[in-house]
Amino acid sequence: MASLAGPNHLGSAALPSRRRKTPPVRCSKPHCDSHPPFFKTIAISSAASILMHCTPLSPFLPNPLGGGGNGGGGGGGGGDGGWFGGNGGGDSRGFWSRMFDAVADESESPEWDSHGLPANIVVQLNKMSGFKKYKVSDIMFFDRNRKTKVGTEDSFFEMVSLRPGGVYTKAQLQKELETLATSGMFEKVDLEGKTNPDGSIGVTISFSESTWQSADAFRCINVGLMHQTKPVEMDADMTDKERLEYYLSQEREYKRRIERARPCLLPRYVHNDILDMLKRHGMVSARLLQRIRDRVQKWYHDEGYACAQVVNFGNLNTKEVVCEVVEGDITQLDIQFQDKLGNVVEGNTQVPVIQRELPRQLRPGYTFNIEAGKQALRNVNSLALFSNIEVNPRPDENNEGGIIVEIKLKELEQKSAEVSTEWSIVPGRGGHPTLASLQPGGTVSFEHRNLKGLNRSINGSITTSNFLNPQDDLAFKLEYVHPYLDGVYYSRNRTLRVSCFNSRKLSPVFTGGPGVDEVPPIWVDRTGVKANITENFTRQSKFTYGLVMEEITTRDESSHICANGQRVLPSGGISADGPPTTLSGTGIDRMAFLQANITRDNTRFVNGAVIGDRNMFQVDQGLGIGSQFPFFNRHQLTVTRFVQLMSVEEGAGKPPPPVLVLHGHYGGCVGDLPSYDAFTLGGPYSVRGYNMGEIGAARNILELAAELRIPVKGTHVYAFAEHGNDLGSSKAVKGNPTEVYRRMGHGSSYGLGVKLGLVRAEYAVDHNSGTGALFFRFGERF
Amino acid sequence: MMKKLKAKEEENLKFEKLNSPIVEDGSCCYQKLHFSDKEEHLSMASQIIREWSGINTFAPATQTKLFELLGKLKQENVNSLTILVMGKGGVGKSSTVNSIIGERVVSISPFQSEGPRPVMVSRSRAGFTLNIIDTPGLIEGGYINDMALDIIKRFLLNKTIDVLLYVDRLDVYRVDNLDKLVSKAITDSFGKEIWNKAIVALTHAQFSPPDGLPYDEFFSQRSEALLKVLRSGARIKKEASQAGSIPVVLVENSGRCNKNDSDEKVLPNGTAWIPRLVQTITEIALNKSVSIHVDKNLIEGTNPNQRGKLWIPLVFALQYFLIMKPIKGLIESDIANERKPAWERRDAAFRKRDLY
Repeated sequence: MASLAGPNHLGSAALPSRRRKTPPVRCSKPHCDSHPPFFKTIAISSAASILMHCTPLSPFLPNPLGGGGNGGGGGGGGGDGGWFGGNGGGDSRGFWSRMFDAVADESESPEWDSHGLPANIVVQLNKMSGFKKYKVSDIMFFDRNRKTKVGTEDSFFEMVSLRPGGVYTKAQLQKELETLATSGMFEKVDLEGKTNPDGSIGVTISFSESTWQSADAFRCINVGLMHQTKPVEMDADMTDKERLEYYLSQEREYKRRIERARPCLLPRYVHNDILDMLKRHGMVSARLLQRIRDRVQKWYHDEGYACAQVVNFGNLNTKEVVCEVVEGDITQLDIQFQDKLGNVVEGNTQVPVIQRELPRQLRPGYTFNIEAGKQALRNVNSLALFSNIEVNPRPDENNEGGIIVEIKLKELEQKSAEVSTEWSIVPGRGGHPTLASLQPGGTVSFEHRNLKGLNRSINGSITTSNFLNPQDDLAFKLEYVHPYLDGVYYSRNRTLRVSCFNSRKLSPVFTGGPGVDEVPPIWVDRTGVKANITENFTRQSKFTYGLVMEEITTRDESSHICANGQRVLPSGGISADGPPTTLSGTGIDRMAFLQANITRDNTRFVNGAVIGDRNMFQVDQGLGIGSQFPFFNRHQLTVTRFVQLMSVEEGAGKPPPPVLVLHGHYGGCVGDLPSYDAFTLGGPYSVRGYNMGEIGAARNILELAAELRIPVKGTHVYAFAEHGNDLGSSKAVKGNPTEVYRRMGHGSSYGLGVKLGLVRAEYAVDHNSGTGALFFRFGERF
Repeated sequence: MMKKLKAKEEENLKFEKLNSPIVEDGSCCYQKLHFSDKEEHLSMASQIIREWSGINTFAPATQTKLFELLGKLKQENVNSLTILVMGKGGVGKSSTVNSIIGERVVSISPFQSEGPRPVMVSRSRAGFTLNIIDTPGLIEGGYINDMALDIIKRFLLNKTIDVLLYVDRLDVYRVDNLDKLVSKAITDSFGKEIWNKAIVALTHAQFSPPDGLPYDEFFSQRSEALLKVLRSGARIKKEASQAGSIPVVLVENSGRCNKNDSDEKVLPNGTAWIPRLVQTITEIALNKSVSIHVDKNLIEGTNPNQRGKLWIPLVFALQYFLIMKPIKGLIESDIANERKPAWERRDAAFRKRDLY
């Protein structure tokens, strides 16, 4: 009765039970059944202890699980210990003892004894001294059937735990031999030593491989979590009839087991591969079974089922080979919090907050997949609540073949505050710095996160360059974030944000066109309150809507409030009767409006190149509340499409495809339009090759752009052409700033560029003046 | 229109009875400049109309012709005529005004740009009122002087322009972009229609063309070139400019202007230019095109902030239904078509529900 238990990889071996004498029809049997669990346990913990570990700062661990995956492949330390689950017939003394052996193996002492014999003498194992520690200089396999030595690349080599250079006692060598003999892979196996002149011995293991009759069918079954039947001990005193009955009953039982077993995930094509292997080989040999095992496990591990293992081959000596697999079914999902020392503590974070981030595939009932683990890691990490996250599958002791997925989390400090300071020395009178000219500046920020364990947070910051006189340039921000607005158990993901803010920006509306030297700048200060709700549809697509109330103040260079833009008269003087800066005409506007923004983004990376569509529509709807009762509808639509021009094979290290980027942006406004809300043309994110606002400021604008990206040596070069047009609507902005500052109102540009890491270096030709310039920009245009 | 004008005139007459002492007397340029603010203020509120006595200084033949033309206007029931004089700086706008009126009503400053303000001169004779608005040059430092243009526009508020007299010099060989800019500025301010009421006056007409080019040929070339650039600046298509073209008249303001037997000022080609100019003015005033009434809308344009305001609720609703909803639909289809990794798809199908 032949059964072959296939353990994990290298270190371990598939161990067919040594039942050569049983009638050929009988097959695999109970014994094995009781063992796989043990061996599985080990295998899982060694092969699959994926520690996913990351700090919030590096959200994407390039290969966080690499270790885990490889660990699986390597069979890890466990392999060295010599696990072989299989065992044979009545070998129920089992694994514990073996396990201890393994431990013993590892604790070899470095000292060794000389064999004390003349060199080049062959010594049988049983002739060796039980009191000596032999040093093994080399190990050789000798295949008796083929009459050849077997190279180290042969799969049998993996089965031996002896290592050249190791020191072993006779008992250990005997154990090793016994292990090999009971693995089921060999009909016969012997171990002998050959003395070397230096006192060490060379070990030769001669064997003949087990073989079974040829099979033409293959079946793979999932035996994970199956109730294991206790083997009935076979009594040595049984009569032949009893024996026959016993075998028959076992066969029936095995058939039932196969029927009960759940189907495997193994796809058809692997199945066919294996059938091909069976057909090619004719006779089923131990080596073939090993290869089948490797093939099946390779598929599982390549697909990320790190806990899957072939545990047994059954039904040998029949037409069908049955491969029993434990796939790694999740029986429990365990979320635990740890303190800084690694002790399990009660966390502040509510568990549903974490649960909703976990992919369904990590829930009990699914097969553990390392990719799902990675996904969970990324998702949880994106909460930014934890300093350390581990996703750790561990064997379920109570449920053999089951996996408990442990998620261990270390929470970040809930409250944090930070002060960063800088001193600046300003030249005092006479140009010499004095003590009084030291200016303390810096940022004070605080954050209180994860309020109520529901990831709500309050954070704020104040920045100034001079704390002694902060009114000059005080920037502040205070924000409250309230996620899971619909309740943490609902899949709808809406987040409420309320913030107070201020900002100061240079208005691109008051910018000169080509040939206009210097237009006195206008600063636009905004201070206000914003409340909005963001609904995330996917990681990238979202819908935001809310209310904005703000006060806009326009200031000139010297920070005085100004109601009109300034312009330089031909005579060189400056006149303050330029276009009005505000709606109210006083330099200060207050207004409330609704803001909605819907973004659709299905872009993805193909070997590092962005492919897909990105559409954005934003509308600011004035409510008629504020200075001059502003009532307006200001809207913009952006359409960007990244077209893949060539199909490429996806995978790490493969070159990205060439990409054509098409981009269109329309902006328009109906109703009251103060200058600071006018759409401007020109600039690195509008029409490249121009300064911000150099083309014009208008009520309606249209921008069109095309860019062709060609990958070159790990980066890409690109060529682009862009056009911006005011659609004749510049004059529909009060004061016509486009014309006052002598701008064209439309313009095109074209150029070439190369991406150097984060920086884009591009040469752009501005079509209005026909001159080109080299620009360095950070980030992406689209 | 005419009725309106009449009403205004009556009002003006009333003011005249009050006999406001402030006059635009060109003889006292210092005073004029000094009072220019007040004068403008008053002239905007009312018009002080004096007797057109300057007409008497013309040669008798000229006088006869002028009266004839005035009579013709009265016959057509036109009692008042407003002429707007515009052009680049230093081309002789003010001199031309003085020549027409026959007095030195506007100060002439040959070497510097004139006062930045427009001046309106009104003269009445035999129940007919002639208003001539002299404006400062539009060009300064190679660009349109926006401020001057703005002041002109404001000055013209609530006035009706019957004739635009666009003044330039004859003795210039080239046209350039500035002419185009001026023409564009005028068009932008008053609309294309004003060119239907325009006359181009070329000053310094007593001029000998170079290299023996015949005077008439030079004149026609010069006027053709100028008209072309004016039309392009005003964005008037040639065929669209009705009656073919804008009339061009010659002007010679110099005191040394040749005179003919009847003591009329004549051009090198022998025509007496004042009657000819007034005649052209009369023709233009009487042509079918409507005079340009300058109102607030014309100056400031319709307030773009008010345009379409009523439609905003509708726009918003359309945006919601025609843009935002479809985008949301696209997002949903993205979610449905998302390329899920193999493990996600496989497990969904293989879920071992029966186990738990």
